Amino acid sequence: MTRRATIERALLVAFAAFMLAVPWLIPALINGFWVSLIAEILIWSLFASSVNLLYGYIGLLSFGQALYFGFGMYGVAVGIDQLGLGFWPAFGLGIFAATAMAFVSGIFAVRLSWHYFAIITVVFSLIFYFLAVTQKWLTGGDDGINFTLPPTFSFGGTQLSFTSATFQYFFILATVMLCLWLMQCVTRSPLGKAFLAVRDNDVRASLIGLNVYGLRLTAFVMAGFLAGVAGALFAFFGRYASASYMFYHVSGEAVVWAIVGGAGTLFGPLVGTALFILIRELVSTHWEHHSLIVGVTAILVVILAPRGIVGLWRDVLARIAEPADVERSVEPAAELRTEP
Amino acid sequence: MSEPVLRVDNLVRRFGGLTAVDHLNLNLPGGRLHAIIGPNGAGKTTFFNLVSGLLTPDSGKVFFLGRDITGLKPHEISRLGIKRTLQIKSVFPQMSTADNLWITAQAGTRFLHPFRPAARDRDTAERVERTLAQIGLTPLASRAAGTLSYGDVALLEIGMALISQPRLLLLDEPTCGMSPAETDRAVEKIQELARSIDIVIIEHDMEVVFEIADDITVMAQGSVLTSGSPSEIAADERVREAYLGRPEDEDYVEEAVRA
Repeated sequence: MTRRATIERALLVAFAAFMLAVPWLIPALINGFWVSLIAEILIWSLFASSVNLLYGYIGLLSFGQALYFGFGMYGVAVGIDQLGLGFWPAFGLGIFAATAMAFVSGIFAVRLSWHYFAIITVVFSLIFYFLAVTQKWLTGGDDGINFTLPPTFSFGGTQLSFTSATFQYFFILATVMLCLWLMQCVTRSPLGKAFLAVRDNDVRASLIGLNVYGLRLTAFVMAGFLAGVAGALFAFFGRYASASYMFYHVSGEAVVWAIVGGAGTLFGPLVGTALFILIRELVSTHWEHHSLIVGVTAILVVILAPRGIVGLWRDVLARIAEPADVERSVEPAAELRTEP
Repeated sequence: MSEPVLRVDNLVRRFGGLTAVDHLNLNLPGGRLHAIIGPNGAGKTTFFNLVSGLLTPDSGKVFFLGRDITGLKPHEISRLGIKRTLQIKSVFPQMSTADNLWITAQAGTRFLHPFRPAARDRDTAERVERTLAQIGLTPLASRAAGTLSYGDVALLEIGMALISQPRLLLLDEPTCGMSPAETDRAVEKIQELARSIDIVIIEHDMEVVFEIADDITVMAQGSVLTSGSPSEIAADERVREAYLGRPEDEDYVEEAVRA
């Protein structure tokens, strides 16, 4: 275990160092555009984490998480554009709207299981997509809402806002990492173990005294929160909100990212999201059928590595690191044999 | 005499045209190991499902220690102290053996802390370790429960029953599919448990039933055929008939008489 933990810690440190160096390293190596691309990957990976919390930890496959992403987005855009809110109140409004919506739809959705659950999440998402398209007075319809960014912090004369690409990057990095850290805390807590028990065997979970409905609703609201934070960040990042991000096709992409990266692992969604967005960016300029690569990769991973890329990596790591541990534990027996 | 630990009044449950449990009346006093036997389709597992809340009865009532528990949710019934195992061994396959016990120990608590690391809960960890030692699975503590052998899963089930500190334990065919050696080990554990916990057991293995049961209830076609001590049941002609049916020529005779 120790060797494995060392490798994992080293990787984590390298990853952290890279992420912190991005605003200086990437423009020097490639160009400045890639800094905002990495910020975008971070936002979408938080969105994929919301799918991951549901599918990987409590066993609910939602094809409607874009609804809460959209609520986060519109909360920010409506807050700034129509209510004249500042950065933080608008951020709060977006997250609150998404979480509250998840609570309301969760009350109905988590009563159902498996494919019925998947279908109702799509239905909810479609209803609100069409509402967003038609209610022009609130959402701007097809054009969406464009808004001017308020500053994030202002101290006297100096202001920090998303207009600085470096600040924008670090704000997004900090928010996404904070959310992932919270998710890590939850999954390691008693509540997280209860989630896993429900995922593994819901009937048995109810028989040992777990309130399956309550736990599913809790997870659903938490996932709505994560999707809402991602949507709010994306609104600030793009300076607009649009109904097209509430379409279920967006939800479906997050499901693919989470599963390919590794559902049930903290960093799986980040790996999956990074992989597919990089494929899109690198290939789409040369070849218009880049989604073929996405499809083939997704199918291959699901067939060959059911626990995703991170799961595959853990197996490899176990094979590299464990033999040493096994030898260590076998040692005493070997000594015994030499005694006579 | 005090209130019976489990009492059911006129319990009925239908599945479409089939009446699986048909006006069932049972009165199980505490402090005894009670076995329910009966041919396939007699309604034994349906009865367990009705008591544990997985199914709600069409009519009738279930009382646990005098309290009406009819229509409560499974987790509410579980929290009152009625725990059960399922006929098909059923644990949390992707969680480790230790975590299976851990969550079972914690499941009854009303508030599951969302942020404190589970590993920091020394109390529960000690209970898990003690239970692992009791059922002899300490070496397999970190193995995923889905990779355990059948006999070890059965032991884990018993461990889960132990750690949940039940007041009434419903065991649905605990020795089903076990090797003779595993059966002996399981029987030993069940007898040990029965000293402190009220147990109702559904079992097809008659050797096991007659070895461990204090009382036996025979069910057939959804209701109680007869009940009594093992020796009374062994001598009862109707029990043999319920299992084997009666000889065809006797049916003939009866029909002839009626005609």
